[in-house]
Amino acid sequence: MKNKLMHLSNETMNIGFVKKVEALSGSSVRRCFQCGKCSAGCPMSTFMEHPPNRVVRLLQLGQGQRILAGRSIWYCASCETCTTRCPNKVDLAAIMDALRKLSWDADGPSKESYVQLANRLFIENIRTYGRQYELRLGAAFNMKSGQFLKDLMLGPKLISKGKLKMFHSKNKNIAEIEGIFKRIEEMRKKGEAL
Amino acid sequence: MSRIGVFVCHCGENISRTVDVEQVAKAAGEIPGVAFSCDYKYMCSDPGQTLLKKAVAEHKLDGVLVAACSPRMHEKTFRKAAEAAGLNPYLCEMANIREHCSWVHEDRDMATAKAKDIVKLMVERVRKGKSLAPITVPVTKRALVIGGGIAGIQAALDIADAGHKVVLVEREPSIGGHMAQLSETFPTLDCSQCIMTPKMVDVANHPNITLFTYSEIEKVDGYIGNFQVTVKHKARSVDESKCTGCGICMTKCPKKKIPNEFDQGHGMRPAIYVPFPQAVPNTPVIDRENCTMFQSGKCGVCAKVCGPGAVDYEQQDTFTVEDVGAIVVATGFKLYTIDRKPEGSPIQGYGEFGYGTIPDIIDGMTFERLASASGPTGGKILRPSDGKEPKQVVFIQCVGSRAREKGISYCSKVCCMYTAKHTMLYHHKVHDGQAYVFFMDARTPGKGYDEFWRRAVEEEEAVYIRGMVSRMYQRGDKIVVMGSDIQVGVQVEIEADLVVLATAVQPQDGADLLAQKLGISYDKYNFYSEAHAKLKPVECATAGIYLAGACQGPKDIPDTVSQASAAAAKVMTLFAKDKLERDPVVAKVNEKYCVGCFACKKVCAYGAIEEKEIRDRQGNLVKKVAYVNPGVCGGCGTCQATCPSKSIELDGYTDEQIMAMIEAL
Repeated sequence: MKNKLMHLSNETMNIGFVKKVEALSGSSVRRCFQCGKCSAGCPMSTFMEHPPNRVVRLLQLGQGQRILAGRSIWYCASCETCTTRCPNKVDLAAIMDALRKLSWDADGPSKESYVQLANRLFIENIRTYGRQYELRLGAAFNMKSGQFLKDLMLGPKLISKGKLKMFHSKNKNIAEIEGIFKRIEEMRKKGEAL
Repeated sequence: MSRIGVFVCHCGENISRTVDVEQVAKAAGEIPGVAFSCDYKYMCSDPGQTLLKKAVAEHKLDGVLVAACSPRMHEKTFRKAAEAAGLNPYLCEMANIREHCSWVHEDRDMATAKAKDIVKLMVERVRKGKSLAPITVPVTKRALVIGGGIAGIQAALDIADAGHKVVLVEREPSIGGHMAQLSETFPTLDCSQCIMTPKMVDVANHPNITLFTYSEIEKVDGYIGNFQVTVKHKARSVDESKCTGCGICMTKCPKKKIPNEFDQGHGMRPAIYVPFPQAVPNTPVIDRENCTMFQSGKCGVCAKVCGPGAVDYEQQDTFTVEDVGAIVVATGFKLYTIDRKPEGSPIQGYGEFGYGTIPDIIDGMTFERLASASGPTGGKILRPSDGKEPKQVVFIQCVGSRAREKGISYCSKVCCMYTAKHTMLYHHKVHDGQAYVFFMDARTPGKGYDEFWRRAVEEEEAVYIRGMVSRMYQRGDKIVVMGSDIQVGVQVEIEADLVVLATAVQPQDGADLLAQKLGISYDKYNFYSEAHAKLKPVECATAGIYLAGACQGPKDIPDTVSQASAAAAKVMTLFAKDKLERDPVVAKVNEKYCVGCFACKKVCAYGAIEEKEIRDRQGNLVKKVAYVNPGVCGGCGTCQATCPSKSIELDGYTDEQIMAMIEAL
């Protein structure tokens, strides 16, 4: 996908996707003139197959699927260095957020991403227990990602130091937390939240 | 015994850093004939000049040598100071111990020794120097402007408005040039015709402007202030004094299918025609090569329908000689074509783009005509091959320009901006179309220019792709454009309906021949050379000839108009005086020894050498000798070096002076 010949036409450029990114992030992608300052300052740039400037470039060409096919957006640490330094007021951190959101919704190519999996399990945990239950998070992540023995030997160490609880403790106000989730879901339906 | 004063300058630290100026001044003081020597931090400063003036008076100096920078920098300054002190300015010379010594050496001792030598030999030159008086030449206060594009029009109007007579010569049947062909102009998108035609009409109606269209420069004689220019008036076959411009001849002409040059060959015109509706003058011309009357002798329709009887098939080319004092050259540009070039041409076409055989690959000027309301499509963007509206248009920049392989290494300067404009014009006219631009850099220096380009990208939705196109070919009715986006690092393929190439700006055809007639220099691309890239951007090295517009290098309209007004200002400066003062550093012929071989005439770059007849009292021809016209001589000294009988000498650089300088070493 990364180096595949790019056909450009009104049909192959998914402008609708770009419009969504722009609406969600509140930032224009056309403003970018590809100076590369975002990639120059990005602490995660070296890990990305599409560094930040190229993510914007691909959006300019209507090639959102190429971004979602990769993991670059999941490496972004949302440190906002790019946004702070951009000479054209392109809010790249917000664009990354929007892309992650769209990738999540699309349930698509980036499903392979462990980052997305970890994020989803993390949120599910919070919704169920009202707080984090690390042991379950670790176990579920290992099961779902198919890496059953990953970091297994760290478990006893962390348990002995009290960093990992064997049993969860439920939040007293779990109903209120469920209320927060519900409200966000409603806002999303109305398009008011990411 | 002479009394020479030597003044050694520190030039701040520029000289004194590497040259021991005190030692140089001391050594100079010991040369016989030097009555006074000193060193000073800034000789060109006011106190420095006062020092010089005082020394001339106190020590009764009869010659002055300033050891400082290049004479190109400050010779005038010190000669003026010397003149103010009562010396002949030409007895003041400069020894260049900065550019020729301190700047180029590191070893202090050796640099000091060299500076001493330079001073020593220049002292000899001052010693053998002669007082000279400036040469005065009369000025004809009438200007010639060559080329009737926006540059020529602006220059002619400015000079004419200042109250001087102007002759404007244009090769084509109408003035207007390339600007008249444009649809809208960047960065404000105002209609080219709207801002151009008032100026064209002004030219036609101005009492001080004589307009010669369909005319060319045949020959140029003379020198600054006194040129004699022979103008060839090509036979129009229509009497301008009788023609009323009704246009009935054009509607009745049976031969109507001739590609119109003004529309880049895409519209049609009759054999008797005006190039475009707003033409000035609005007098038709017969294209004799395509006219049935001229080719077979049978037709004559235009003559029959012409009420005032203006059509004249017998008209011949005529010549007039115009006396002018200054010339503004504004011959403009043409666009490079990607067609296959003849063998041996340094500039080659583009095989990878099909050598111009694909009809829907057009150049920028053709796009202008397609977008123009007066163009062949009435302002609709329709592609040439089948007249359909293109939905995918690819623009390619730097075609020919910045391509050493194609023989052109320069940037054509205007293409980035006009391509941005084209994407906008296209977006305004074809709402569901998409414009793509392949580019290397967007070069947009200029007021409001970058904002204009960003507008094309951000608001008018042109997709700019950084990277060049490698190949284009026809597939069905589409053109496959194979390029790459170097920012993403992928190959890009677009099936385009129309491709517009921003081809290189080149000087007009025949620019080199005109330069040879005028005696001005031009570069390897045939662009005319200015006297100094920074400080004399409108003057030619040949005195009295000025440059305006794209004939000097690629230029957009604002730059062209600025330069045209600057050239006009230079002409007005020249015309402000009744007599011209020129530097007397000119060659003189010793007629006694001259054998009339005219070797000097062959080498003179300025055309300053004439043949003079020497006759005895009875009027018999004794011999022919060379004569140097002091108004034309540029003082280069080539004739002096060439003369086999040593009978020609340059004032200020005589053999005697040069020999004395060599002997001093």
